[in-house]
Amino acid sequence: MAAPPRHSTMLSISNGGTQQSGPNDKQTQQQAQTLPQSPGLRVPSNRKTIYDRHLNRSRNAELSRASFAYLFGEMVTYAQRRVTGIQDLEKRLNEQGYPLGLRLLDLLFYRSTSTSSSALSSSSTSSSPPNRPLRIITLLHLIHGPLWRLLFGRSADALEHSVSPDTPNEYMITDNDPLVNTYISVPREMSMLNCAAFVAGIIEGVCDGCGFETKVSAHNQPTEMWPSRTVFLVRFGDSVMEREKVLERAGVK
Amino acid sequence: MSYYFTILSPTDTPLFNIAFGTSKGGGDGIARFRFPETAQYMNQFIIHSSLDILEEAQWTNGGMYLKHIDTYPPAAAYISAFLTPSGARFLLLHQPPHLPSSTSTGSGLGSSSLLGSAGSTTRASSSSVAANPTSPQTEEAVRQFMNEVYENYVKTAMSPFYKQGMEIRSPVFRTRVTAAGKKWL
Amino acid sequence: MSANKTSRIGEEIWKSVNPQTPIITEKPFSIYSTAFRPRTQANQLFPRRTRVDKVNAELVTLTYGTIVAQLCQDYDSDYQEVNKQLDKMGYNIGMRLIEDFLAKSGVGRCANFRETADMIAKVGFKIFLNVTPTVTNWASDNNQFSLIFEDNPLADFVELPDDGRAQDELWFSNILCGVLRGSLEMVQMQIEAHFVSDVLRGDETTEMRVSLVRYIEDEMPPEEE
Repeated sequence: MAAPPRHSTMLSISNGGTQQSGPNDKQTQQQAQTLPQSPGLRVPSNRKTIYDRHLNRSRNAELSRASFAYLFGEMVTYAQRRVTGIQDLEKRLNEQGYPLGLRLLDLLFYRSTSTSSSALSSSSTSSSPPNRPLRIITLLHLIHGPLWRLLFGRSADALEHSVSPDTPNEYMITDNDPLVNTYISVPREMSMLNCAAFVAGIIEGVCDGCGFETKVSAHNQPTEMWPSRTVFLVRFGDSVMEREKVLERAGVK
Repeated sequence: MSYYFTILSPTDTPLFNIAFGTSKGGGDGIARFRFPETAQYMNQFIIHSSLDILEEAQWTNGGMYLKHIDTYPPAAAYISAFLTPSGARFLLLHQPPHLPSSTSTGSGLGSSSLLGSAGSTTRASSSSVAANPTSPQTEEAVRQFMNEVYENYVKTAMSPFYKQGMEIRSPVFRTRVTAAGKKWL
Repeated sequence: MSANKTSRIGEEIWKSVNPQTPIITEKPFSIYSTAFRPRTQANQLFPRRTRVDKVNAELVTLTYGTIVAQLCQDYDSDYQEVNKQLDKMGYNIGMRLIEDFLAKSGVGRCANFRETADMIAKVGFKIFLNVTPTVTNWASDNNQFSLIFEDNPLADFVELPDDGRAQDELWFSNILCGVLRGSLEMVQMQIEAHFVSDVLRGDETTEMRVSLVRYIEDEMPPEEE
């Protein structure tokens, strides 16, 4: 979702007190309440607050894969109880992934500015300070490489661009064996369901955060060797494609 | 030097504001803006008027710290910007010290002070940061300040209960920003 | 996602833009099939990450945070209800996790509740959360103890909502109580577990109180909740 034009934003600020947003709408949640300064939360005397914890503390920490599987399984089961169909369920999983994408984006960049061994530098040579992605390809490489490594300990398996003249805005990121599907056995009647919709939401959050209006969906594309192979279809909005042309002409990388 | 620092959401909603003065060169850390009565309003106005320039810079310069992007001569104010990759904007307005004519009362909003010319600071501070808002030393000090705020912002945003666009109300966060201001500016 | 979108993915209209392969832009209409890249190649680039039974701890942390935040939203910040739901989820997990635990730890039957407590802290939490809470504050009848958590990966990065209620009502890590209840029930122990303090609430420690209710003799395991 792209930011609305400035004038409409100003309007929404002035109406902020009266307009209530729907709980599930990502964009309309962004109205800050102007409440008086609060005394804040209680903190323990040893000052264990989020601000006292180094952001890199758990950077290389590992946990049991089973723990993740159990939690994710419960998350899907819970979501399933509150929806009516597969599309609805995937939408909900997507929405739960979205804010994670925004968080991971900030975390990735923080880590690459704060340490010498950059989390964003590719496996090759680059050691320059990280830049916000301005072009689609840079953004997708960020997702395919650093984001995937942060989440899953390896890069994604493929990144492809549609060569159809009708859909220049479509890209695919492929994961041959998504972690999120490893422990999930989907009932036969829900064979269309792909729980990697959660990861699709994360990708959407990353793209949106960087200013690239996008829709991302997860699709089962099994092969003989990779039965849970999943394709994330990334579709950029018109505003992104327009800007892409302008930046291309301006020589922005 | 007086500072007004604000964090705006990607859709320009203010998430955090703070005004403070320089602590360098014997400064007492208290903000003394030209127009104390209307400082808050003026500062927000000046910052919002620089957003179009910011949006242009956002797509030509991929850095997070964009240095000083705009000036507002009527108030002799400078705007520095830092963009988080997730779209939040950190904006710092810096205004050199009062002109001698407006130091005494600070209550009037005379037309003469509105036209006060940029950079004609007579009460020059010994600090290089205060002396020249566009010097490399200043840019570097602001960069350090922004980086430190960014670290604390990421800590805020990592909490599962923080949703993008929510006002940052934590007193600990405020303390951290104040400390960063004291340390670098 | 319409059907034609899905089917188009299978067609060969995609050109690889992997960072490893040069991006070819001068032939916009040629058709490339995906360069097949087996997993081993990725692993060679990151040899440290090859342990298949491990995941990045932050993925677990962030996923759990998402679950709790979602519950708070769905139940409109009715934190009592959120605690209940978390406990229920934990119970479901515990019932399935115990098998995994027995297989991974290879431990046998505990002789008494004190031994059970040590097993939970030193083996169970170690395997699944990579922490070892301290077992302490035993009741005189040896049927009640506390687990004190020095570290709690579930709560990393977390600050409770500043709404004047969450710090009094929400037990953020309450899922753990359910996990203990569910897993011990599968090995014939009915227990009760609840948190009595949490650093997220501003308390000095994070402490869970665990009480043995009874040993379940010769009964069928209960139905899943």
